[in-house]
Amino acid sequence: MSENILVVGGGPAGLNAAVMLSELGVNVALVERDSFLGGNPKKFKYKFLFPDMQPADNVIGELIKKAEAGGGIKVYYSSEISDFKENGKKFDVTLKSADGSEKKTFDSVIVATGFEHFDPARDAKYSYQLFDDVIDIKDLERMMGENNFVRPSNGKPPKKIAFILCVGSRDRHVGNQYCSRVCCTVSVKQAIELREHFPDCEAYIFYMDIRTYGFFEDLYWQAMEEYDVQIVKGRIAEITSGPDNTVICKGEDTLLRGPFEIPFDMVVLASGMEGGPQSPEISSKLGIELDEHGFLKPENITLSPFKSNKPGIFLAGACTGPKAISDSITEGAAAAMNAYTYAVKNR
Amino acid sequence: MEYDENGVSIVPSEFKKEIFEEAGKDFRYQEYVRGCLNCGVCTGGCPPHRFFDFSPRIVLQNMKSKDPELIWTMMDEYIWACFQCFTCAMICPFLNSPGGIIAILREIAVRRGFESAKKVLKPYSRVLLKLTAYGNQLSPDMIQPDFFPDWGPTIGYASTDLAVKRKAIPMPTLQVTNLSWDVAPEAMKELYAIFDEAGVFKIIEAVDPSLYEIIQDIVDDVRSS
Repeated sequence: MSENILVVGGGPAGLNAAVMLSELGVNVALVERDSFLGGNPKKFKYKFLFPDMQPADNVIGELIKKAEAGGGIKVYYSSEISDFKENGKKFDVTLKSADGSEKKTFDSVIVATGFEHFDPARDAKYSYQLFDDVIDIKDLERMMGENNFVRPSNGKPPKKIAFILCVGSRDRHVGNQYCSRVCCTVSVKQAIELREHFPDCEAYIFYMDIRTYGFFEDLYWQAMEEYDVQIVKGRIAEITSGPDNTVICKGEDTLLRGPFEIPFDMVVLASGMEGGPQSPEISSKLGIELDEHGFLKPENITLSPFKSNKPGIFLAGACTGPKAISDSITEGAAAAMNAYTYAVKNR
Repeated sequence: MEYDENGVSIVPSEFKKEIFEEAGKDFRYQEYVRGCLNCGVCTGGCPPHRFFDFSPRIVLQNMKSKDPELIWTMMDEYIWACFQCFTCAMICPFLNSPGGIIAILREIAVRRGFESAKKVLKPYSRVLLKLTAYGNQLSPDMIQPDFFPDWGPTIGYASTDLAVKRKAIPMPTLQVTNLSWDVAPEAMKELYAIFDEAGVFKIIEAVDPSLYEIIQDIVDDVRSS
């Protein structure tokens, strides 16, 4: 008889875990709260992924196709865990959807509940939702995904655009002290795409540190050398409305110019990643630990980042902290391997 | 007082060290000085930065350097350019308070009666006198063109016929121009007790000895009434 493993969350990490387990002959129950698979990349219609600008659909679409092809994976759409009990080394779980409940026993569990985009409206200085032309990286990604990149205020293409990094990250005021890891690279990637498709549009990036770690640094250099993106050190203190339907970014250029007030046609806020309401929820439901940043806490951050503090429950992807899609996919595979080993050992 | 080519007063390095240590020992210091990314959001939002060579980021960086020489360069003029609006503290992602550091340094300057403190506080002697004598901060007769240059061209008109204008105010007033409201002697005595406890009288003595003498006479009168 094959093993039964529960995967919670159908984003990049959960999808890859489910696909790998099904290839091992495991019966996988993939629970997804939305009515579709693909997680945030699908929900917010990410278009191209860094570092090589490959279409997001090539990656996410491929995983979804495999998961939906049947095999050993049963997908529970618009579903959630309504009851969770340990039963010896196994787990008795009730899965609930609009169609009703189903009770099943699983040998092990993989939690891949992902992250939420920080809501920039929570930091009033950026005037998000106050001015139409202030958007964030996920809004821009969707606009580009829908091939509809214009100023929301008047439907015209922008001539000057600013990216503001560390929105909702590295800021005690919003309660997020950590770095969200990917927003620098996403912003640099988006600035490059903009300059490529709209060469008339000037692009500025306001940063504290540019954290395009590892090979992502290539994009950063490319942005400066090939795409002439202006990179200015300084956090924006305030966004106000300016003349001729502009938005003004006010700040200090800490290296060169000193104080500035620059009018832009559009501002893109690089909002970070948060554990979201689902992290504490799954933490209390499954009895696994939450960390001080609002993400799920691995047993050992270095040695076993894919294990929860509870034997038999494994973690994958952005539910344990901000990370890139490639890292989530890697962790999905690591968690699958560990969940499989646990299930086989305790059969 | 002698000054160097940068306009910084010349004092022995031992003294500079003493001043830094005094600031570091302040009970608020740990709360006000934390990490710093040099993001400049404090200076970007700082109102006086528009008008003076003043940057809360530099204030914090100087403090974090723990270099008594650097900190001393701020004591003559720099710390007095701050509006004490605390926009920097409100906006800093680390919850630093450059405005709070300024407050600590200003209090040192005042307690020790530094020249800069005397100069800056001179215009406030009228207010202090009014406050200790009557418990009022500001009264109509203090509105004079010399003291309110920032009120613009109408200050001349505003300062004339005060008694008549006061009568025109459509709410109960004391109908006098040397008081805004009446303060009971009990309240005055309480105010003096607070001043004693908080060291306000000592500060006035350090900054303006002649004002202190006048104020002492008034305080004695009220206390013995």
